[in-house]
Amino acid sequence: MEHDVHFHWNMLIVIYLFTAGVSAGAFVISGLATYLGGTRYKRISRIGALIAPWPLMLGLFVLIFDLTKPFQFWWLFLTIQWTSPMSIGTWLLTAFSILSMLYFILWIPRPWRDLLRVPHSTADIFQPRQWRLMTREMVGISRRVIAAIGFPIGLGVGMYTGILLGAIPARPLWNTPMVAQLFLFSAMSSGVATVLLIAAFTPPKDGHDHLLHERHFLVTVDTVLIVLEIFVIIPFFLHQSLNTWSSAESMSLIMGGPFTLVFWVGVVLVGLLIPLAIEGFELFPVIWKEAAVKYSRLWGGLSAVMVLIGGFLLRYVLVYAGQISHFLPIMER
Amino acid sequence: MANPSTDAPRKKRWGFVMESDRCIDCQACMVACSVENNVPIGKHRNWINHKESGIFPNLNQTFMPENCHHCNNAPCERVCPTGATYHRDDGLVLVDYDKCIGCKYCMMACPYDARYVDEEKAAVDKCTFCVHRLDVGQPPACVETCIGRARHFGDLNDPNSKVSKLLATHDYYQLYEEAGTESAIYYIRSK
Repeated sequence: MEHDVHFHWNMLIVIYLFTAGVSAGAFVISGLATYLGGTRYKRISRIGALIAPWPLMLGLFVLIFDLTKPFQFWWLFLTIQWTSPMSIGTWLLTAFSILSMLYFILWIPRPWRDLLRVPHSTADIFQPRQWRLMTREMVGISRRVIAAIGFPIGLGVGMYTGILLGAIPARPLWNTPMVAQLFLFSAMSSGVATVLLIAAFTPPKDGHDHLLHERHFLVTVDTVLIVLEIFVIIPFFLHQSLNTWSSAESMSLIMGGPFTLVFWVGVVLVGLLIPLAIEGFELFPVIWKEAAVKYSRLWGGLSAVMVLIGGFLLRYVLVYAGQISHFLPIMER
Repeated sequence: MANPSTDAPRKKRWGFVMESDRCIDCQACMVACSVENNVPIGKHRNWINHKESGIFPNLNQTFMPENCHHCNNAPCERVCPTGATYHRDDGLVLVDYDKCIGCKYCMMACPYDARYVDEEKAAVDKCTFCVHRLDVGQPPACVETCIGRARHFGDLNDPNSKVSKLLATHDYYQLYEEAGTESAIYYIRSK
């Protein structure tokens, strides 16, 4: 008998890891824009906040059907297992879902937000009839508070998706702290790309100038994130190759093995290098001539889509290839 | 298998000692296990590894029976998000099928690939060291059926048990020790 390779974790897991990353990234970039730009980046904050809860909801819904007992998923919520990344992640995702939902509500544009009523004094809490509209000030403070609390939790969700894989000694390809970093930066980058994409195709009413500011901010952040990803992939690659036999062998999966093409073309070229080139081209006038950022909807949209494809494929490669990686020697069964 | 604290009351530690030289790869242990434990067709709780060595014409093949290692430091137990996989006092690592939601994280974490999904139970399952037989004083089915007496089973913490005596007098090794699992399966080195 052969040593069978079964992919016990399949596409549902890949989708979930990806969507959780997009949500975390959208939330974090929205929070960042709220704190850094205020009204200047208001549209970024709003788009990020309006997106944030949904990809994760989709991912979690899909994830449930990977379980052998889909309708017993709530068992996860009856316990905390401190040594299980999945258990910690469950609670992290719960906190994130609640916060991103609150944040979503706070960013719903008027007049829909006017449906929301809140108590204005402690005496009113138990008298819902006395509840009134949120003042502009209250909305602003609430957004900032939720963004501040959600910021580390969003980063945590982004990192957790990598730790889920990385905290397992039995799979040499996963068992490195760099998977968590890679997933975190990739998650943030995917979130930014989603915001970029939506911002590009929903132009603001008040003109073009606004768009350039936003684009400058988003493209700068995304460029930094892509460079960080590259700085993780290079040591990841070198470390694994120069590591123990099992780790070095696990690299053969992306160096001549079945995942070579999808990793180097899909993840590195399409997901990182080409978007980096496009974004570098867009930022070039800013760096060189202190002029406005170059802007083309086509190229901007393309680079964002490529970042998303790369982010998805990164998770695909790691989830699938990682399951094949194994301590050596493997004996024939 | 040293007991770290000699003052502590000695607990049982069930474990296997496998003698490769006595294994002929008849796979009777696999059949006995499947029948005893009603293992789904196509899945196995125990199996036999083949290891080739030597250079032609002096070739050698070693058979290594294996099953769940019931690790002292079990990766599967550590990662289980619902606490379905647990340790019994006598060192057995067992699955509470009702608590298992089937996330398969334990299957990722097991370096020995000892676990499988039982669709009927809708849970992850594995070798239990035939816990239902142990509890009534019988050895696991694979041990009882082994015609070459390659599989030895007993209390590793009892210096007078067969397994302890074998380990005291033979050169032995364990699988993937570098994973830090503290496995309860020992292999006697082939002569």
